[in-house]
Amino acid sequence: MMADAKLVKLAEFVVKRMKRFLTYLLVVFALSAMGQERVSMFMVDVGYASIHDSYLTPITYDGLDLAMTYEAMRPTRFSPDKWLWQLQVGADFNYVENDAQNNHLDKLMGDITFDMQRRWKEVIAHRVNLSVGPITQLRAGIIYNPVNSNNTVSVRAHWNVGVTGMASYNTRLWRKPITLRYQAQLPVVGVFFAPEFDESYYEIYLGNHRNLAHLGWWGNRFDMTNYVGADLHLGKTTLRIGYRNRLEHWSVNNLKVHDVSHSIVLGIGTSH
Amino acid sequence: MLLLAVVLLVGCAQQEEWDNDQVGNFEALWTIMDEHYSFFDYKQVDWNEIHSRYRALVSNKMTDRELFDICGDMLKELRDGHTNLIASHDVSRYWIWEQWPVNYDERIIDQHYLNFDYKMASGIKYQILTDNFGYMYYGSFSSIIGEGNLDLILSYLATADGLIIDVRDNGGGLLTNVEKLVSRFIDKKTLAGYICHKTGKGHNDVSEPYAYYFEPTKNHIHYLKPVVVLANRSSFSASNNFVSIMKSLDNVTVVGDTTGGGSGLPFTSELPNGWRVRFSSCPVMDPQGKITEFGVTPDVRVDMDEQDRTRDAILDKAIEILTQKTANNL
Repeated sequence: MMADAKLVKLAEFVVKRMKRFLTYLLVVFALSAMGQERVSMFMVDVGYASIHDSYLTPITYDGLDLAMTYEAMRPTRFSPDKWLWQLQVGADFNYVENDAQNNHLDKLMGDITFDMQRRWKEVIAHRVNLSVGPITQLRAGIIYNPVNSNNTVSVRAHWNVGVTGMASYNTRLWRKPITLRYQAQLPVVGVFFAPEFDESYYEIYLGNHRNLAHLGWWGNRFDMTNYVGADLHLGKTTLRIGYRNRLEHWSVNNLKVHDVSHSIVLGIGTSH
Repeated sequence: MLLLAVVLLVGCAQQEEWDNDQVGNFEALWTIMDEHYSFFDYKQVDWNEIHSRYRALVSNKMTDRELFDICGDMLKELRDGHTNLIASHDVSRYWIWEQWPVNYDERIIDQHYLNFDYKMASGIKYQILTDNFGYMYYGSFSSIIGEGNLDLILSYLATADGLIIDVRDNGGGLLTNVEKLVSRFIDKKTLAGYICHKTGKGHNDVSEPYAYYFEPTKNHIHYLKPVVVLANRSSFSASNNFVSIMKSLDNVTVVGDTTGGGSGLPFTSELPNGWRVRFSSCPVMDPQGKITEFGVTPDVRVDMDEQDRTRDAILDKAIEILTQKTANNL
């Protein structure tokens, strides 16, 4: 009985803390914003990736994450003070190994992401800008397992719509202007490709296209990208350093995918 | 709510985990096969009973080689040439064809039928025999067939009164090569067979058979005269599939021995210790909807005389059949 009472107290404490955290998160998410007016940036991500794709193997692989991304952000023409658009085009590559270190997977993906965000300048505090808006993303690629037989490749393709939010804070470092920024991209619904449990791509090639396209929603799929970083403005040039985390998780047709990456972001570009 | 969703979904992501010890690897192998192997019911294999029997033999104190031998023996219960356990030191196998009559000797054909004079393209050895019948030997469906190469081969053989396609000792390869080859011997859209796959982890979670068809290759050379296909027990997998489709064509006769079978498309998985397991996952059926896992029986059953080092009785029978057919067509 004592143990039960302690457990109830612990649960109440956790719920209370979670409520506080969620409230904070929602406020930030709902009121995000932008510091700079126009941004063009080339970025390179280097870090860690973990891949679990049950079509290829029941074992989780981990290793290297590499990505290249071009990002453009501009005020919209129709309402430059209140709205901005953002475009990201990128490609990422993972080389991951199993724990036994006798096999690897190669994952190559490409994506294009576009969003429009309503922005509020200096709403919470001086120099803090927030924005939020709808986002759409098309992401596709393959994972290759060189030692498999008829399940040697897993094709990934996903189109989604969701919400994105940004918070930025303009300050100075060593007398140079710097923008600190957090952005979350959260797909909500979409369409994605998945074969059936042990369906071969040969059967798909022969013409059996049943049950390949799936409606993705939070009941069967969850994706999220988080970015936090700093833009250091040196005249016309901007240097960027940050951290990006991607999560792709889905479960359909008795297949499971769970990919995560954590990477350092380095970038160079212009912002004014 | 967002955090809750993340927590729930990350929780859902927990995959099946096995300890990387002897018992854990044994259980991983048994479970992978239990969830993915497609012929348990067809072969009337009680996989749970097999688990009980072999699990009793496994302990964490045994060596890797001892565990491998036990796992290999367990997989042999499936009587499946497509099922292998692959480790750094060995490959477990059920290659029953090693115990059947050989029924093929390349040297006899090269010396006594081709006189060491033949052409080769796309992995196909070809020539016109003295009886004016074409002869093609295709030793592996892994050898990529080029459409242009096939045009040149068939144009060379076009003047022959009939054609012998020899796929003895052809252990299989790419099914796309089966389609390329068969498409040269049909003149209309033709039912090639049915294919299905596991849809879930249960033994009976199998999709409805999907009928698939081959079409004659457009703008390429076709051969529609009488054809004899030669097969033996080592004609396996894609080769077995080729024979099953060719057998259903009107102008084709299959001669030799029953093929080796192997009608399930193999998938590969792996154990925590890095050993790989290959197994039949997607059953492919012949145009009659029959599973040919244990082989395709020939139209005319012939064995070679192992004592006669100058004659190939199966090839002789093919020549005899083509001679009769061409005589009847005159």
